[in-house]
Amino acid sequence: MASAPTSKYNSHSLENESIKRTSRDGVNRDVGEPLPRLPGEIRITDKEVIYICPFNGPIKGRVYITNYRLYLRSLETDSALILDVPLGVISRIEKMGGATSRGENSYGLDITCKDLRNLRFALKQEGHSRRDMFEILTRYAFPLAHSLPIFAFLNEEKFNVDGWTVYNPVEEYRRQGLPNHHWRITFINKCYKLCDTYPALLVVPYRASDEDLRRVATFRSRNRIPATGGGYESDDVYHNAELFFLDIHNIHVMRESLKKVKDIVYPNVEESHWLSSLESTHWLEHIKLVLTGAIQVADKVSSGKSSVVVHCSDGWDRTAQLTSLAMLMLDSFYRSIEGFEILVQKEWISFGHKFASRIGHGDKNHADADRSPIFLQFIDCVWQMSKQFPTAFEFNERFLITILDHLYSCRFGTFLYNCESAREKQKVTERTVSLWSLINSNKDKFKNPFYTKEINRVLYPVASMRHLELWVNYYIRWNPRIKQQQPNPVEQRYMELLALRDEYIKRLDELQLANSAKLSDPSASPSSPSQMMPHVQTHF
Amino acid sequence: MFSLKPPRPTFRSYLLPPPQTDDKINSEPKIKKLEPVLLPGEIVVNEVNFVRKCIASDTSQYDLWGKLICSNFKISFITDDPMPLQKFHYRNLLLGEHDVPLTCIEQIVTLNDHKRKQKVLGPNQKLKFNPTELIIYCKDFRIVRFRFDESGPESAKKVCLAIAHYSQPTDLQLLFAFEYVGKKYHNSASKANGAPLGAGGSSSQKTPLFETYSDWDREVKRTGALGWRVCSINEGYMISTCLPEYFVVPSSLADQDLKVFSHSFVGRRMPFWCWSHSNGSALVRTALIRDVLQQRKIEQRICNAITKSHPQRSDVYKSDLDKTLPNIQDIQVAFVKLKQLCVNEPFEETEEKWLSSLENTRWLEYVRAFLKHAAELVYVLESKRLSVVLQEEEGRDLSCIIASLVQVMLDPYFRTITGFQSLIQKEWVMAGYPFLDRCNHLKRSEKEAPVFLLFLDTTWQLLEQCPAAFEFSETYLAVLHDSTRVALFGTFLFNSPHQRVQQSTEFAISKNIQLGDEKGLKFPSVWDWSLQFTPKDRTLFHNPFYIGKNTPCVQNGSVKSFKRPKKSYSSTLRGMPASLKNGIISEEELRPRRNSLILQVKPASLEPRDSQDWDAEQFFREWASRPADLHGTILPHLSGAHIKLWKLCYFRWVPEAQIQHGGFITVFHKLSLLADEVDVLSRALRQPRGGPMPASGPELAPSRLYFRACGPHDAPGTPDFLSSSFPFSPVGNLCRRSISGTPLSKFLSGAKIWLSTETLANED
Repeated sequence: MASAPTSKYNSHSLENESIKRTSRDGVNRDVGEPLPRLPGEIRITDKEVIYICPFNGPIKGRVYITNYRLYLRSLETDSALILDVPLGVISRIEKMGGATSRGENSYGLDITCKDLRNLRFALKQEGHSRRDMFEILTRYAFPLAHSLPIFAFLNEEKFNVDGWTVYNPVEEYRRQGLPNHHWRITFINKCYKLCDTYPALLVVPYRASDEDLRRVATFRSRNRIPATGGGYESDDVYHNAELFFLDIHNIHVMRESLKKVKDIVYPNVEESHWLSSLESTHWLEHIKLVLTGAIQVADKVSSGKSSVVVHCSDGWDRTAQLTSLAMLMLDSFYRSIEGFEILVQKEWISFGHKFASRIGHGDKNHADADRSPIFLQFIDCVWQMSKQFPTAFEFNERFLITILDHLYSCRFGTFLYNCESAREKQKVTERTVSLWSLINSNKDKFKNPFYTKEINRVLYPVASMRHLELWVNYYIRWNPRIKQQQPNPVEQRYMELLALRDEYIKRLDELQLANSAKLSDPSASPSSPSQMMPHVQTHF
Repeated sequence: MFSLKPPRPTFRSYLLPPPQTDDKINSEPKIKKLEPVLLPGEIVVNEVNFVRKCIASDTSQYDLWGKLICSNFKISFITDDPMPLQKFHYRNLLLGEHDVPLTCIEQIVTLNDHKRKQKVLGPNQKLKFNPTELIIYCKDFRIVRFRFDESGPESAKKVCLAIAHYSQPTDLQLLFAFEYVGKKYHNSASKANGAPLGAGGSSSQKTPLFETYSDWDREVKRTGALGWRVCSINEGYMISTCLPEYFVVPSSLADQDLKVFSHSFVGRRMPFWCWSHSNGSALVRTALIRDVLQQRKIEQRICNAITKSHPQRSDVYKSDLDKTLPNIQDIQVAFVKLKQLCVNEPFEETEEKWLSSLENTRWLEYVRAFLKHAAELVYVLESKRLSVVLQEEEGRDLSCIIASLVQVMLDPYFRTITGFQSLIQKEWVMAGYPFLDRCNHLKRSEKEAPVFLLFLDTTWQLLEQCPAAFEFSETYLAVLHDSTRVALFGTFLFNSPHQRVQQSTEFAISKNIQLGDEKGLKFPSVWDWSLQFTPKDRTLFHNPFYIGKNTPCVQNGSVKSFKRPKKSYSSTLRGMPASLKNGIISEEELRPRRNSLILQVKPASLEPRDSQDWDAEQFFREWASRPADLHGTILPHLSGAHIKLWKLCYFRWVPEAQIQHGGFITVFHKLSLLADEVDVLSRALRQPRGGPMPASGPELAPSRLYFRACGPHDAPGTPDFLSSSFPFSPVGNLCRRSISGTPLSKFLSGAKIWLSTETLANED
């Protein structure tokens, strides 16, 4: 009943299902540690606390802190509450109340999370329990400030698929028919000398020599030269290129907008004026502008007349959003699970979206002005598209939520660091696990049952407030009162029908086998309906 | 069909088409072929050639050329040109692609570009300029535009005046259904005696109409209601003209008592039964007691009788709807604003403030209020096990929605197509919902209000939240709404069953129609869907997600009927202490203390609650925490994020809002293919020889599904014609032009007989 925070759409708790099951079976039961752990995860401490659940009030529980997560289990008999929070999602830890604070539950910690929730714990005033917990949490939630490694480097999980091999730049360019006589591959940035925030391998206009590129680079912000996103062809790339500016606000506006979203959904969902409150956050308006921009880009490209140069000041925020969304609209390949992983890997990770700065992995500076939910906004746009085209994407909502959860969790190396050169320096692919390993080794869980593969369909979403919705299953998932039906009833019905179809096919095959057996046996009389009927009919 | 014979005697005033029009017809063989398709009793009133129908708001390149006619049933645009840009057309058998029934017309605006003049046309109006353009604003949110640049100016003017005149009749008997049904009677009388048209086709026969004693009796037995009986005191409408002839009352009340009590109620609408829960609690609706002196006494007697009819002798819970819900004027105002926002105002200009504008219409707020109130009554009936009496001044509006919603939530039968139709018969048509006034077929009532649409909208919210529990689709709901605008069916034409009998008897006498034993004319029923749609098109009414009683499913490797939990009405709640704690803390504990860390949490429902509300909240939470019982009670989620705008209904004509190749229909399509495949397999299994999958399978048996699984060689993709508007198409149906129309009410008049449009046109 009170297990609100372990919503079914919390991907952390989902992945631990198996672990929980073994402990229930008594196989791995350790009374002192009823705590799921990843390989490489180490328990640091545990404490008895009062968890101030915003939905169900104070609940007494025991909190366990490891080098990866904060885990709370209720100690009350009538509550099955479990909290399972990777320390990576923590953006801020504050002490509440002082030694002189009176009143019950007025002394403790308030933890602000990057995934739109706050956790509050009340502790005993005596015995330094709060100080200990504060220090341990601070240490492991913000390892960079304490010269500790990010957990991804300690994670010893093994998967039967290696997600790091998903994206191979040469192969992906080849899939797009590159190089060709308009575009060529260059290794000019091999050792990240030209531009340290670009990948080593680039596709550039055929006629631009490496010498030209070097010259251009000096004029561009941080030496970021124009390079292809989708590999869209054109005769004379820069003559026919069209420049347009989109009225999309900067990263600071986006950050403030998301804060406002949190204000109206956590812990209480604004009820009486839901729509106007939502409007006042401007979140959907920003989503609309990004989608509109991407549609314009896609439209220009698909009309075949011009290539598109997508601009923003540094080319790693808006550019990544617009190019990747336009590619989703134009190229159905990116709407598959693997295609989407490649898209993220290429347009975001490889092309230097500053994940470390925008997310602040392991960093204690919660007020850093560089932080901004640019990638979240992109995933939200993808979700909006999947709402409008529910059969066009191979992946489901859980896939997107899992990506967002691990954007913060620091369990995988996928989103760490600001650019490829830094990742190479840290040997991320050798020393950490890729998020795609987790997903690709259990793909079924992330598949949209309604997916209809259509190779050449271009999809333009309607970027209108009439169709954009707040992503309730992500932004309001902590509130048990706003629970959307799980599993989705429409999806559930489809799965039932699939099972029914398989069962019928099995039976028809059996019947046919029986028939052909009779036919091949000349002594047998022609199969009589009366013989077959009872067998079949018992089931109807 | 269309002929230039002299008009029929009853319509003496009809014009002959003016001579110059005739010349054009003769000189233009192509136009000559353009003949309207007319129904029995339908007559062309006026027509004009060389009309352009505008397709796009911003360009004339797609415009169609043809003839515009006005009949006594519809306006019809007849063209040989194919419809451009349109990939799909959902065909109504009564109406052509470009037709608008007269009763669907909301406002008629004529313009003259050159003279920069415009005029909203009422009946009996003069028009001092020759119109170059005609804009028809429809009640179903369409906006249709015609240009007369190449037409004869006088003919154009006359057609406009005719449309204005015939779409705003002053008498009920001028509505087309009367002419249609009269024609049918005459035709059948000349052939053989007997009923001219059975109340409808097979489907309508299945839908109980609640016109007879036995329909009510069956319903009492179906719900297992003990202590209730059908009473006949209103036979011949002797007691009340707005109650059905038969209705159900507590067994302990004698006819004589009822007759006495009836005088005290508004409209003599004494309490009558709607439905009984399996736990014995009954749902009853009543008008208010007018007679203050008698009020206490009568209320007491009736409450006692209802209590006696309850197996546990439970108390009666009274719900005063007038005090708790928006009134019909509020609903109408909200609807007008919604319509303004959805179709009239320019798309782009409303984008920025869309959400707050939508909120300001208050439509969704009202949708939520009705759902919430109905859900609370479900709690009272099911968990508190009390009988509920719905009180409303006349008991003919809000009671209809609430009574229906409560039953849709509680009784899975009303979530089937037949059940839903019988519910509309029982709680709307027979219970005296004033369709005539609320739909405003006569364009003169200040009583117009989309109460029925609001009910369809609230039903849609439930369907949206719990799709597996409903046999019908949202297309069905939208088409049902559209059918209220077709003045052919008796179902939605009258303010009460009595009015049908009285008006149609009067009409029959004037037309010399022999009624025999029948009580009034038998109008076609809307439930005879074969009048409007082909069998194939009717399959779109079926919701492929529905899990009915006999829907097979796989359980542990064997195929069974969908397992229904035994009617488990509130089993988990029975006997639960009011202050039960199970994981939820009481309000007292929730209140933050001084200096406390507890966030300021408001309880989910905002009002300060008494213990009853607290229990109700508990009930809803319990319900929400369990998997939905598709064959039991379903309840709505009511948060702002859950109550949505019914886009298919309100956006289907808006081209800018159309998602090409997208929308929920693509999932509907995908699931239909699978469901069809399962059907084919299941049929193959049932065939004696269980032979190979018949290649011609789909042709052999008509499918219940619109989208068919084809052979393995067919392309599996999503059909190109699907869009979020499907099966409707916005092409040519929403040609906005910003004009400020004058309210229709300004142009109302009281003449009962059609005036000659000739006279009107000639007056200047």
